[in-house]
Parts: sequence; structure tokens; C-alpha cells
Amino acid sequence: MAGNHGDSVEREQLILRYLTRKLDTGEAEEFESHYLECRDCYEELRATELLIYALGQIVVDRAAANDVAIVRFAHRTELTKASLDLRALFETVRLQNESKVLIDLANVSRIDSAGLGMLMNCYCHAVKNRGALKLLNPNAQVKKVLNITNIDSVLPAHEDERSAVESFRQSGT
Amino acid sequence: MDFSEGDLEAFRPRLRHKVCFRVGFACPDVDDIVQETMIRFLASVRNGKLESLDSVGAYLNGICQNVILEYRRRWARDGGDSSDNGERADPHTSEMDLFEMREAIALGLSELSERDREILRAFYLEERPKSEILAMTGLADENFRVVLCRAKERFRRIYNSAVKHRSASYQ
Repeated sequence: MAGNHGDSVEREQLILRYLTRKLDTGEAEEFESHYLECRDCYEELRATELLIYALGQIVVDRAAANDVAIVRFAHRTELTKASLDLRALFETVRLQNESKVLIDLANVSRIDSAGLGMLMNCYCHAVKNRGALKLLNPNAQVKKVLNITNIDSVLPAHEDERSAVESFRQSGT
Repeated sequence: MDFSEGDLEAFRPRLRHKVCFRVGFACPDVDDIVQETMIRFLASVRNGKLESLDSVGAYLNGICQNVILEYRRRWARDGGDSSDNGERADPHTSEMDLFEMREAIALGLSELSERDREILRAFYLEERPKSEILAMTGLADENFRVVLCRAKERFRRIYNSAVKHRSASYQ
């Protein structure tokens, strides 16, 4: 399987499943053993990583209201360990010129510990740059997770974009 | 059985990728793990333990897995959480690499048509099966392969030129 160079689509599917950790342990080790000795497959793997990263960049839309950057997902997504959108989100927040960031979670249907970790990374990045980060429109499930983990005490969630943007001004950040 | 210095150096970035994938790009001990793997691999080769060149990848991978396992045990013994180590592994390339390639990546992306992006997004990000994408877009199988190959070729070139640039700057 891993050594199959014949079908380019099958090879891409294998690489994608490896990168998203969907191969079982044996399959993953077989693929690793193969790319360690196969320059072609290693290059394909690296090229796929770059391509996924590039495509991920347009999964997240950016807009600005006053001096607040509003970051939102263009499509429905899950902020879970297997999601490639996690990285796209962090990269988008990291590359903002504005230090005040509002993340619109309207298109996020589910979040897990990896997603929460990434939100906290975004928050730390904003704070390091003397900014602030807030959330907008989490659904009931996401809101519940934010509440259980007490993250909502650090990352307040708003229901309305205008009041969320206004809250940055009121809090003096 | 002997390996030239060039052969061994070709293994290093691939091993590094594998280790990063397993322990995370943020792990400060990635290079130590790679180095320890290389040392053990060379010692085994010199002792004649590698019987066939056909199995060199599996052999090297096995050694690397052992080194990673030992590292995790040591990490856990010293108070870290070994189970968490792999969980945090970032499936993507390192931030440093991405930073260096940022402009080239943006250019590569801009060269793709909107239709190609849609197809690639469906395949790579939404992980839709090929049959569904073909039905959705009305593309023929052959055209789908062309879109995939064209995009991969662009990004392979970006990766290779970054590698060349990096090795030139080390010299």
C-alpha cells in the first residue's frame, strides 16, 4: 500500500489520512518506513502539507470593524484535534495587524480540548501583543464546553457583533 | 553494507519530520532524538545487523520508534506527561519553515484558479471522496487528476526551492 506509486489519487488519500492521523498505528508506521527511504513520497508528503496549509489560509475570513479584527470560518467546521482548521485559525490570528481580535464561532459546530487549547494559544498571542481576544456566536454545545472548562471567564463570548466590538472599547483594551 | 555521507544526510530531514510528527514540532529534544537514532542506526549497520537494503526504511523507523519510546518514558519519569506528548503533535510543518516559505505559498495559491481551489478544498480540507467531488463538479476523473497533479507540482517546487535555498545558506 505505502509503496504504491501507481495511483496518484490513492497516494494523496494515504498522505492525507496520515497527516490527519486517521491511519491506524500499523499503517502509519508502514508509511513512515516507506517515506524514510523514498525521496519521491517524502517530497509528496511535504508538498501536500504546504498545499493544505495554503488552502487552510482561505478557510478563515478576516474583516475589520474599527480597530478590531473579526475572524470567522468560511465554512462549517469543528475545532477538534483532527481538524486542519485549527492551524489556519492560529495562523490567521498570529498574522493580524490588529491586536484586538474577535473570533466568530458561528460556523463551529463542535470543539474539543485541542480546539480549546488553540483558542487559548490565540488568546496568549493577543495578550502578548498587548491586545485582547473575545468570542462571538458560539452555539449551545460550544458555549457549554467553554463554561465547563471555565474558559468563558477568560474569553468572554458575545451574541451580537456590534456589542462585542463595543466591549473592546469599554474594557479599554 | 555501507552508506555514504550523502545517503545518511538524506535520511536526516525525513527522520526529523517523523520525529516532529510523533512528538510535536515544539518539542525541544527533536534533534537529540534524530541524532540518537542516527547513531544507533550506524552502529547497527557497522555490526552487520541490517541484512538487506530493501528494509532500510523499516529498520530505521524501528530504531526511531524505540528512541521515541525511551524518550517518552524518561519524560514521564522526570514528571512530564508522556501520553500528552503525542497528542500535542502538530500535523503540519514547523512555523519557521512556513515563515520562510510564506510568500512562495501565497504565490502558489494565487496561481490556482478559483475552481481548482474549490476542488482541492473539497478533497484536502473537507475530505470528500473523489466520487462525490466528481459528481459535485461534473469533472471527469482524468480532469480531477490533472487538477491534483498541477497543484501538487506547484507546491513540490515551492518545497524543493526552499530546501535548496536553506542548504545554500548553510554552506
